[in-house]
Amino acid sequence: MGVERLFVIIQEQGISLIQRHLYLVFVSLFFAIIIALPIGILVTRPPFNRKINQILSFLNTAQGVPSLAVVAIFLPLMGVGVRPAIFALSIYALLPIARNTVAAIKGLDPDVLEAAKGMGLSKKEVLLKVELPLATPIIVAGIQTATIFTVGTATIAHLIGAGGLGRLIFTGIAMNSPEFILAGSLMAAAIAITLDQLLGLFQRRVKRKFGG
Amino acid sequence: MTELRRVFNYFTNNLDRISGYMLEHLILIVIAIALSIGLWVSLGILVRSNKKAADSVLGLGSLIMAIPSVAIYGILVSIPGLGLSRQSAVIALVLYSMLPILRNVYVSLNEVDKSILEAAKGMGMSDRQILRKVQLPLALPVILAGVRVATVMMVGIGTLAVYIGERNLGVLIEQGLKRSRSDMIIVGAILVTVFVVVIDFFIGWLESAAVSEGIKSDEGSKAGGEN
Repeated sequence: MGVERLFVIIQEQGISLIQRHLYLVFVSLFFAIIIALPIGILVTRPPFNRKINQILSFLNTAQGVPSLAVVAIFLPLMGVGVRPAIFALSIYALLPIARNTVAAIKGLDPDVLEAAKGMGLSKKEVLLKVELPLATPIIVAGIQTATIFTVGTATIAHLIGAGGLGRLIFTGIAMNSPEFILAGSLMAAAIAITLDQLLGLFQRRVKRKFGG
Repeated sequence: MTELRRVFNYFTNNLDRISGYMLEHLILIVIAIALSIGLWVSLGILVRSNKKAADSVLGLGSLIMAIPSVAIYGILVSIPGLGLSRQSAVIALVLYSMLPILRNVYVSLNEVDKSILEAAKGMGMSDRQILRKVQLPLALPVILAGVRVATVMMVGIGTLAVYIGERNLGVLIEQGLKRSRSDMIIVGAILVTVFVVVIDFFIGWLESAAVSEGIKSDEGSKAGGEN
């Protein structure tokens, strides 16, 4: 194995593949967040809140579905390309965000909500001024989890023709070229660790601000 | 409708192969989870009263957790001597289970009520006895919850190990994608999903069967946790 060749591969293909990878990750996360937050909030309101424990355990179980299965199932449904990949990644990413939103709101101290109601806040005000701010740190933690999952799952998205860093890894395995495999793996790992650290930092700041 | 029939036909015509894949999947998971429990529970016990050491191993665990599974496989198979082998797959799975198991062992051992430990000491128990007869039994529900999270994760990540030479249920999806055979993909996706749910359910049942009656009420439910 040649270290030089490794650097050449990273230099030649790195930037465009990382760009595609991050594009897949961020577009999917965007959709996941704007879908998961309202759903998560809705689940904690009547009449859905009576089934809240079942919904939470469903979300937990769904999270266990292998990412390869989620990505692959979109090939027969939508064909190959970036669109089905973003669809699959968004659906996979919305699970941890929805779960944490539900769990965070459900876990709030009932006394606090009682007090807010006692102060004459309307239901909407309780949600916007009390529940959501207090739930924010855990929701952000859910987004962090979703981001890490998505960076990983996006490597698999290559298998349905979406490109990204998975291309180097899977091509490398097919060609039996450790340089290709390692170039893709190291870049994917670097992206994941960097995003994880940044979001961890962000989450701690949010926690301080909203007092968790 | 014809599509549904094709899926069904693929399943019934290949039952032999499919059950073979399922067995391979199970073997991989059993090897990996046995090694993981041995390794990470011991490490958890070792660092239980050393916060600094615990923080650094847990930090390492969460770092590993952040790395995409395909990337870990990729790095492992590039190591001379490992290559496309079962060792690579097992090592990856063991590494991934570090955080969920170790964290739950460490947290649960330290959560045991101080007055209970005091009482055990007062009865003349040695540190070793306290660990084996008081702390571990009390921590068991939370430890098992961590094992459950790890196992479910392993089934999913194990599916991807077909790209590094394993022949488990992931083969159906891998071959299906390669040949654009939607019947194979659908059968594979359904089977791995069912497999995950069954294993999750089984360990959940094990959890409730293995935990002593006296501590079941309040400990069992706070499983899972944030990850």
